[in-house]
Amino acid sequence: MTGLELHKKLEENAFLLIFGILAVSAIGGLVQVLPSIFQESLITPTSTTKPYGAVQLAGRDIYIREGCSVCHSQQIRPLLAEVKRYGPYTRAGETVYDRPFLWGSKRTGPDLQRVGGKYSDLWHELHLTDPRAVVVNSIMPAYPWLAEREANADGDIQLKMRALRKLGHPYTDEEIAAAPELLAGLTDLDVLVAYLQVLGVSQSPGDTP
Amino acid sequence: MKTVISSWLLFRLLFRPTEVFEELSETRPEPHSVFFKYVLWLAIIPPIFAYIGASNFGWRIGAAEPLFVPAGDLVVISMAYFFALLFVYVSTAIVAQWMAATYGARHSLGIHFALVTIIAAPLVVGSTMHLFPSIFLNVLVFIPTVMWSMYLLYKGLPIVLRISPERGMLMASALIGYLLVAAVSFLGLTVALLGRGIGPSIGV
Amino acid sequence: MFAVLWAVIGMSVGVYVAAELLWPTLDFGQPWLSFGRLRPLHTNGVIFGFGVSALMGTAFYSVQRTCHVPLFAPKLAWFVAIGWQLCVLTGGLSLLAGWTSSKEYAELEWPFDIAIALLWVGFGIVFFGTIAKRRIKPIYISNWFYGGLIIVIAMLHIINSLAIPVTLSKSYSLFAGAPDAIVQWWYGHNAVGFLLTGGFLGMMYYFLPKQANRPIWSYRLSIVAFWAFTYSYIWAGPHHLHYNAVPDWVQSLAVGMSLVLLAPSWASMINGIMTVSGASEKLKTDPALKFIVLSLAFYGLATFEGPMMAIKSVNAISHFTDWTIGHVHSGALGWNALITFGTFYFLVPRLVGASLYSVRLANIHFWLALAGTMLYVLAMWGAGVSQGLLWLSLDEIGELSFSFKDIMASMPPYYALRFVAGLIFLSGAVLMTFNFYMTIRGQRTIEVEPPPVASHRLST
Repeated sequence: MTGLELHKKLEENAFLLIFGILAVSAIGGLVQVLPSIFQESLITPTSTTKPYGAVQLAGRDIYIREGCSVCHSQQIRPLLAEVKRYGPYTRAGETVYDRPFLWGSKRTGPDLQRVGGKYSDLWHELHLTDPRAVVVNSIMPAYPWLAEREANADGDIQLKMRALRKLGHPYTDEEIAAAPELLAGLTDLDVLVAYLQVLGVSQSPGDTP
Repeated sequence: MKTVISSWLLFRLLFRPTEVFEELSETRPEPHSVFFKYVLWLAIIPPIFAYIGASNFGWRIGAAEPLFVPAGDLVVISMAYFFALLFVYVSTAIVAQWMAATYGARHSLGIHFALVTIIAAPLVVGSTMHLFPSIFLNVLVFIPTVMWSMYLLYKGLPIVLRISPERGMLMASALIGYLLVAAVSFLGLTVALLGRGIGPSIGV
Repeated sequence: MFAVLWAVIGMSVGVYVAAELLWPTLDFGQPWLSFGRLRPLHTNGVIFGFGVSALMGTAFYSVQRTCHVPLFAPKLAWFVAIGWQLCVLTGGLSLLAGWTSSKEYAELEWPFDIAIALLWVGFGIVFFGTIAKRRIKPIYISNWFYGGLIIVIAMLHIINSLAIPVTLSKSYSLFAGAPDAIVQWWYGHNAVGFLLTGGFLGMMYYFLPKQANRPIWSYRLSIVAFWAFTYSYIWAGPHHLHYNAVPDWVQSLAVGMSLVLLAPSWASMINGIMTVSGASEKLKTDPALKFIVLSLAFYGLATFEGPMMAIKSVNAISHFTDWTIGHVHSGALGWNALITFGTFYFLVPRLVGASLYSVRLANIHFWLALAGTMLYVLAMWGAGVSQGLLWLSLDEIGELSFSFKDIMASMPPYYALRFVAGLIFLSGAVLMTFNFYMTIRGQRTIEVEPPPVASHRLST
């Protein structure tokens, strides 16, 4: 049967067409995506990478909520100038506790992969409340409402940690029990700054080449 | 049918484009005469302006001070610019000639050379901005210039190639497709070469 | 009609966020006006509001015409259509409230993911049900592309949305870190591929020959194009992750297949251009064709630029910059929006049995759309290439030449150009909305019988 005749069969049978489309489009995923997501190097934490503590976790979720990753990346590429500017390039093993990943796809603002410890807490608080107070030409929006809201206002930090534990993050029962106390008295701003200060600190290349 | 194009046409293009198109449609120029009489000279202008601007004022790429590239490198860049312009010019004319069959347009290579010359003329005028090589200002000037060129393309193509305005619109759009692709290819090629260290050392 | 509404809304949000990049205090201290929340509102509004509504509408229309039967399960079709609008609306509001997964084009949280999946299944049932009922044996090519859209997006959406819900507004993705990135961009790139490219190719393959009044130029080419397209697009996802922490072999495959993808993409473009090349007389009276013809030129640009940017050495400069944004909009404005506008200029008058209110306004819209798109693309090329080169620039002693702050400070002029471009494009869309409003005012949609089938083509 020539190609054209074979194709006629596909064109005249909806089921064959559906199946054909599914099969053909699945190949790429099966070959490229499936093996790589189980590849050891991508799911093993580096020797110095730890899951986020309750405070930092709350902060991370605020980072996500406010859409920070729309303008800030967290992925240093193995390019000379980039490593000079931001630090050691990102290894996959550093990101194993990032749900979801926050590598970003745009740098309207600088990369934040290793921003932890580079600026003081006060600097971050000032910058988040009014970016132009510390960076004159900044086009970053201000986030004054963060200081006005309690970090554990929704009371869901334990639910979050339990969910993450189901997904493989090694949280102990004590850590989960202690979580709400750790968040007591903290605002959204405090926990977000805590998260930023731990970037590049609670995860780093370690011994990974 | 005339075989020679008057240089005066290029000047009249500013004020009476339609007349120019109509006159062109009556001519049957030889490709080499268009090329050596006009194209070479028009194409050399932007690189010269660019050289003068870059050596006197330095490239202003937005951040901090102007960048001065050594004269030797500047000459190489200007020459590369010149040859790139020639390449785009000749390839666009050839692509247009190739498309002519599909749209029933005039087929002579010479008339396509002439058409592309006319359409590119505003860009040569706009290249005066190279005398002060601030990237942003050049982009700013380039935009109305390229719009003027596109206007000449849509208006002039059907008249010069003697096809209906509607067919001309189709062919002009196809040619714009080619030009967009060529533009982005140059962008990509330049960036890839610069990234590999080929070209002026801006340190990438 | 919803698609037109979402076009105006989604693009207005786009213009607003462009303004926010120039004047960051435009959020007036309100969380729901903040750039980080508005940007996903813009992307979701234009892709899922404008894009999907346009695709559903044109799919439901064209599948009936090509199969010569009325729609299967019309009540379900209405449910899907209205349900989708509600989903996008409430989803959009949820984004403003900060309910987001942060994964691009999949920001909506799990309740919406489930709603989308259910509605999508409904979409599939109506579409394929109509095909099953068809009165002629062969399934026309536009239906393959629409079908591909439905099937592949279902697969991508379900897998990428896998997550454990924590509260109504929050979930944690099943995948983390690098695997999450790979799955996300397998989804993200192919959402662009099968929704914004494939689905709209389906639109093109039906409405272009219809308007040009000629058959598709090469049937064989369309077969090859379709299968090559469906096969190769999937692999290109990781080109969003070049030089990122994913395996080299994954990146290299992405480069190779992205380049391969150029061929089937252009095959469809050539098919379209050649089909319309002989149909010029219609341009005199019909503005719709102008839009479709130009959209093919931009389609060519975008599908060439994409593979080019997928090459690692180009990507090293372009990644994270505004060049990517420019590329997106050359495709989104130049191809998707333009071909949809053209299709709508054709379809809306037909649906009410009246002629378009003003051809002149449509022509003005054409030039506004072209100007807006070109200005946007040029501004972003300027911004993106500058950023990319400047970020990587080292001086003679090997130190960074420019601080991030300084590079950032040189961007506003380009952002201003982009803002103006967006305004121009939006104004064209507003003109179109007005034109359609005047066209359908006082009219009712007409009942149309499915086109009769020549007896020799009837399926037995």
